[in-house]
Amino acid sequence: MALIELITEEVVKVPLISKGKQEIIKELLQLLHDSGHIEQIEVAYNDVLTREAQGSTGLEYGIAVPHAKTDAVKSLTIAMGISPAGVDFGALDGKPSQLFFLILSPPDQPGPHIEALAEIARLTRFKAFCNMVTAAVSAREVVEIFRME
Amino acid sequence: MNDPLKKIMVYIDGTEQSITAAQYAICLSRTANSRLTALYVVNTRALRDLVKSRIFLQAEQAEYQQDLEADADRYLNHVRQMARQKGVAIETFKTSGTVHTEIKNKINELEIDLLILGELSTIRSRRDEFYNESERAMRSAPCPVLIVKDEDRVWEMFEALT
Repeated sequence: MALIELITEEVVKVPLISKGKQEIIKELLQLLHDSGHIEQIEVAYNDVLTREAQGSTGLEYGIAVPHAKTDAVKSLTIAMGISPAGVDFGALDGKPSQLFFLILSPPDQPGPHIEALAEIARLTRFKAFCNMVTAAVSAREVVEIFRME
Repeated sequence: MNDPLKKIMVYIDGTEQSITAAQYAICLSRTANSRLTALYVVNTRALRDLVKSRIFLQAEQAEYQQDLEADADRYLNHVRQMARQKGVAIETFKTSGTVHTEIKNKINELEIDLLILGELSTIRSRRDEFYNESERAMRSAPCPVLIVKDEDRVWEMFEALT
């Protein structure tokens, strides 16, 4: 399934208000909970933190891709958020992360998980695209940027 | 005229659409008396890209590769069972690499006459055209390609095949 089919306004939050790594993850999970995509926030939270403990998913250029296999979802689930001020996510370049993609997938569906992450990896190579998304001021604008791309 | 459908190959990627494609391929194979092959490609190219982009750790790459291998075995086994249920002989292959390249290679190697793919995702951006693996397989296949749509109709056809 194409990434764009999963990125809808209800799973995009602009701006994120949290100031710390764990709070950002919780805020994105809350978004998924409020939009009816997950019920067990704590299960997903623990699975994401377990993955983060092995190595931060904060990449370069202000992008972070926290992800996990978790029983908290039945199919590939994505949330996105933008923190204009940036948050210390332990990124590779030491800079604050601003653009967050939270990816959750059930343990028995590795294919869609890999495809979604690969698509994000490709997208994040284009700095102009990332800058455009990061500068968005609403969830609607983020979705429109993805559809234009 | 030679039989244009001596060898049919269906691509399986673990999606519902690819299972529907397999059901159609089994029906067509029975009707046309074609040799049927099913292929699953473990997308190791994507795994390598994820390590390169630092989204994946090395350990994660190995873990997900194992998951994908198991996924391939599970789905190919399912397709074998479906074919057996309908009395159709099927040969299955699991390869790894870049999906559309592996599909193309297998078509050439086995001299496939027709590639059958599940319904493609909706193309909503230029990016999809470039990167969707089924889309790329359709465009790069060196043989005719058939895209299977209408899951309910195919299911009825498959169920009716005795």
